[in-house]
Amino acid sequence: MSMSLGKVKENRTIIIVYFILFALVVISASSSEIFLRPRNIGNILRQAVAIGLVSIGQTLVILTAGIDLSVGSVISLTSCLTAGLMMGRNSMLIPVAALVIGIGLAIGFMNAFLIIKTGISPLIVTLGTMSIVQGGVLVYTNAAYGEAAPLLVSFAWGQVGFVPGPFLFLVAVGAAGMFVLKRTPFGRHIYALGGNEEIARRSGVKTDRVKIFTYMLCSLSAVFTGLFLAGRMGMGDPLIGAPYMLDSLVPVLVGGTLLSGGKGGLSGTFAGIFILTVLSNALNLLGVSGYWQWIVEGVIILGAVAFYEKR
Amino acid sequence: MNSNIFEMKGISKSFPGVQALYKVEFACVPGEIHALVGENGAGKSTLMKVLVGAYRLDEGEIRVKGKRVFFSSPKDAQVNGISIIYQEFNLIPELNVAENIFLGREPLKMKGLAIDNEHLYARSKELLASLEAGIDPHEKVGNLSVAQQQMVEIAKALCLNADIIVMDEPSAIVSGKELESLFRIINSLKEDGKSVVYISHRIDEIFQIADRATVLKDGRLVGTVRPKDIEKPEIIRMMVGRSLDQTFPKKEKGKRKELLSLKEIYKGKVLKDISLQVYSGEILGMAGLVGSGRTDLARVIFGADGFDTGKMLFEGKEVRWLNPKTAISNGIGFVTEDRKAEGFVGCLSVKENLTSLILPKISKWGWINAPVQDETAEACVKQFNIATAGLEQEIQFLSGGNQQKVILAKWITAQPKLIIMDEPTRGVDVGAKVEIYQIIRRMAQEGKAVIMISSELPEIIGMSDRIAVMYEGRITGEISGFDATEEKILMMATGQIKGNGRNHVHESR
Repeated sequence: MSMSLGKVKENRTIIIVYFILFALVVISASSSEIFLRPRNIGNILRQAVAIGLVSIGQTLVILTAGIDLSVGSVISLTSCLTAGLMMGRNSMLIPVAALVIGIGLAIGFMNAFLIIKTGISPLIVTLGTMSIVQGGVLVYTNAAYGEAAPLLVSFAWGQVGFVPGPFLFLVAVGAAGMFVLKRTPFGRHIYALGGNEEIARRSGVKTDRVKIFTYMLCSLSAVFTGLFLAGRMGMGDPLIGAPYMLDSLVPVLVGGTLLSGGKGGLSGTFAGIFILTVLSNALNLLGVSGYWQWIVEGVIILGAVAFYEKR
Repeated sequence: MNSNIFEMKGISKSFPGVQALYKVEFACVPGEIHALVGENGAGKSTLMKVLVGAYRLDEGEIRVKGKRVFFSSPKDAQVNGISIIYQEFNLIPELNVAENIFLGREPLKMKGLAIDNEHLYARSKELLASLEAGIDPHEKVGNLSVAQQQMVEIAKALCLNADIIVMDEPSAIVSGKELESLFRIINSLKEDGKSVVYISHRIDEIFQIADRATVLKDGRLVGTVRPKDIEKPEIIRMMVGRSLDQTFPKKEKGKRKELLSLKEIYKGKVLKDISLQVYSGEILGMAGLVGSGRTDLARVIFGADGFDTGKMLFEGKEVRWLNPKTAISNGIGFVTEDRKAEGFVGCLSVKENLTSLILPKISKWGWINAPVQDETAEACVKQFNIATAGLEQEIQFLSGGNQQKVILAKWITAQPKLIIMDEPTRGVDVGAKVEIYQIIRRMAQEGKAVIMISSELPEIIGMSDRIAVMYEGRITGEISGFDATEEKILMMATGQIKGNGRNHVHESR
């Protein structure tokens, strides 16, 4: 089957992103012999989980031409509540997980509800909920607190061969996300919403409903990250989510999804996730300080977005 | 006898201050191409918006296939077999053709979980093939030409099983070969027994494809005719033929001197062989249909666009403006058509807008002389009778008429020699219109050259000393403001008669 012009263009973006990832892997492997060892690969995959889960949700929101800055505070809240309520008891795993998932979905619903009802831009609305939720977390505890259930801890640290168990979870979530985006009416309507909300509405797309589900899924993905981090740390940390507010945007943007919505997708985000984790791992191996990593990350974001905006 | 697929009876609709439709009758039989014609503002689009439920009617009834209907929205009408295709398409550029055709109505499989893409693409391919459109259903809509997007809209309408397809001025966006293939498709829709309502103000097209034509004027029904039974001038007379209002000031000219002369100006596809003289002390009306090149010409004179070949002489010297700024400093002003986008800065005050063009004159070393600014603004508000809560009022909160007066006052305080006005009274209420007409006439009396672009023929005739008519990028005729009639102008503006252009000027005193 012949490919249409649009498809070729879209695929070209993806090809470029994966080429960058590949080049990065080759450079890293040639500059450090440790890089390709199974143990290090396992590390990279585990590193990818926390940022990966939340940026899957963020991708959906950005595709609708929205943004969710509250994910960081949802991660912190989940981490603290999980450890604080489980207190090392396996029996509390299911009820607490259910509770934090419920709270996450409620926060996502509130985000969408406020955006729809007030007409305030998603940037401001989610900045507001971020502040409220983060404040609430710090009221609850202002220091590391609690103890995650041992089952959660062993899930977070589990391995299948050299592949970390939670990485398989990330892959499953990503695959589900791709199915939703590419094959379901809901997914298509996410793109339509990002393309032109008014036309989508006039075509019979239930735009409010699409928004509500999208923000709820985004919060849910932040809850997953929070649960994973609680398991990995073994306890709750009220500020652990803070960096994810902006970090969750990076794989999405580097992966070619436009902030203006309607264009991009999860395959790009996946490449973005690995570009970031491989880069940070390689720079660590080379003994480059974390501050320099920020500088490199910033350059990559600016370069990538400038490149996509031009096309 | 009632074979009508739909009929609208005694339709009235008013908006605050305007009777948009008054007791209009309109009906269509299956397999008919029915043109709906009239000037801008005659009520064509309003009537169709009433039909599809975008507007609620005040009076009258609509029947579709004999049953009385009350559509609550275009979506509702769509479900009942009426699709409307606007000039601005309802397509999402980021999605592909097939995804757009089925947007909001995706076929499902796996118990409603997933989209049935095989069916979606197969059906889209079928629809596009039936239109002989040669469009790949996988192509992104954003990559398609306007004409192709129009085809996708038609395919979308067919996909909805529309029996009645309303097309709102399709020829405003496509022309030439593309228009021919659109006509071919409209004819094949007709053969399939569909009814097409074709909105247009182009007489030629109506004679080319319509079985019947219903003419509206000022919101009233003039009549329904069969184009094959009548002559073109007759339809034109039906479309216009009204007396001029007594709203226009007396045509008193100022000192007359050639100010601007254009010689054989060409610019891309939009301007062809433009030769034109503009004199100080008189109002030159520019008539023509939307897209005839009037605004493009104005932009060239104002330096907003360049031109390919030809000469422009201003005060006898050959000039080529690099940008509007040079044109302004040489004494040219431009009151644009789109007030909100180009005419003023909405969030700034009346005062700041009024003095924005004379800032260099009233400031020293980068500091604005505040008392002088206040005095100037105060004087403008008084002189032009601008209704505002105060000088500090943000201009966006003024009425359309008062915003326009601010813009005119702003340009007049800059003392231009030539001022171009593009649709100066659009969206302005009647009272303010009269005041604006007086301001414009006063400028001519004071010896300024005025070019007034307008789509309202009575306004052009009532205001102009001389009228140049454009059609498809050319000036097809010039006529004195005293001899002009709406029929004559419309004939030139639709390419029916070609005036001899520049040799055609009458000097009437």
